[in-house]
Amino acid sequence: MKNIIIVIALTFFCYADEKYNDEFTQDFDSEFTNKNGEVFDPLSGYNRLMTNFNDKVFINVLNPVAKGYAYVVPQTARIGIDNFFDNIMFPIRLINNLLQLKFQNSAEETGRFIVNTIWGLAGFMDVAKSELGWEAHKEDFGQTLGFYGIGDGFHVVLPFLGPSNLRDIVGLGADSYVSVLSTTGSSDLNYKIPNTQLEEIGIKTYDVVNTTSLKQGQYESLKKDALDLYPFLRDIYTQTRKKQIEE
Amino acid sequence: MILKKIFKFLLIITVTVSYANALKQDEIKEQMTKKIDNVLLILEKKDLSISQKGDEIIKVIDEVFDYELMARISLGKETWNSLSDEKQKEFVKIFENKLKKSYIEKLEFYNDQKVKILSLKPHNNSRLQLETELVGKDENYKINYNFYNKAKDSEQWLIYDVELLGASIIQTYRQQFAGLLKEKTFDEMLVLLDSSNKKQ
Repeated sequence: MKNIIIVIALTFFCYADEKYNDEFTQDFDSEFTNKNGEVFDPLSGYNRLMTNFNDKVFINVLNPVAKGYAYVVPQTARIGIDNFFDNIMFPIRLINNLLQLKFQNSAEETGRFIVNTIWGLAGFMDVAKSELGWEAHKEDFGQTLGFYGIGDGFHVVLPFLGPSNLRDIVGLGADSYVSVLSTTGSSDLNYKIPNTQLEEIGIKTYDVVNTTSLKQGQYESLKKDALDLYPFLRDIYTQTRKKQIEE
Repeated sequence: MILKKIFKFLLIITVTVSYANALKQDEIKEQMTKKIDNVLLILEKKDLSISQKGDEIIKVIDEVFDYELMARISLGKETWNSLSDEKQKEFVKIFENKLKKSYIEKLEFYNDQKVKILSLKPHNNSRLQLETELVGKDENYKINYNFYNKAKDSEQWLIYDVELLGASIIQTYRQQFAGLLKEKTFDEMLVLLDSSNKKQ
């Protein structure tokens, strides 16, 4: 009798320690296989080079500049400037929310723009979020195209701008047409801030430096996870964009 | 009478041993909140060195991660099955270290920030996803923990993937391993992975 009990107890133990069965791992395997398959990457050679170039630019130029800038300008001011740039990008968000038939979000975006411009010191404070709880709804034309079922095309790493793909490059072009900070489309839209291309580059570079100063160490920390930098960044970009389009 | 007692005792032990560390579905939110709060508290301690903090954090979160499954999925079924038992074990160990190191580095980086636990939602049929949000300086970052139920007829929820801003960690490793294995042998890749653990 005693032996039987011990045997029963032992089988219980074995049960608890049972390893994953085959069907089970198959299930997980297919969950992750469906998402990728073989990646279509005709520009991989160029992309790899450009990723290295961008990496060098970031580490040796942008990052030190942003660090120095952060040393001089207090964080509160930098967050304010970041809010200001976000606020004037409102036309891009509004149009793309409308194009994706997200009317609730479009209304909220419009509300945010009005509230932040008038009561948030021309957009330097995000009072719509802190006081009213209205979150920003970032949408761009690349996401709009994705929303209507247009695929990525293939991955392209842009100089200075980083990972992108065919669809998102088209998106960037379209967005810059309505963007306040670009000169394209200035003959049709009269709210453009820069008068020349040089001014445009200047303003945009400043925006990038300011944003980078608020995200110090983020890229370096991410990079540590990479075994091979280019496919790592490509994959993260593709997955993140896919998620953004789904939302 | 005594036999009955022994039997009961053994039964209780088996049940508690096998489920001591596992989470039940309705505990996930509460337990994870506790764990994350704990981790943030450890990070705030000024008298500990970074590696000491790391060790303490690992103690808190270790039991909810299924490292072996994570290692298996990121390698893919075919590659996994082609390996000897020893190699499998070696890989799991190195990969586990990599994941831990990377998780701690991320947390360290977001040191002074707050984490909000948002909701627990069904995910991919039988699984669950815990949505959390890290409140950053200029924007918030979504971190999602994906759980699966390890025990079939009871509840034993474990984490098999973490999504940062929509990018799955396991998926990212899977792609990288697949890419590397096209050019390198498994052993060479293992060395690469191991040496990346030793880098500061």
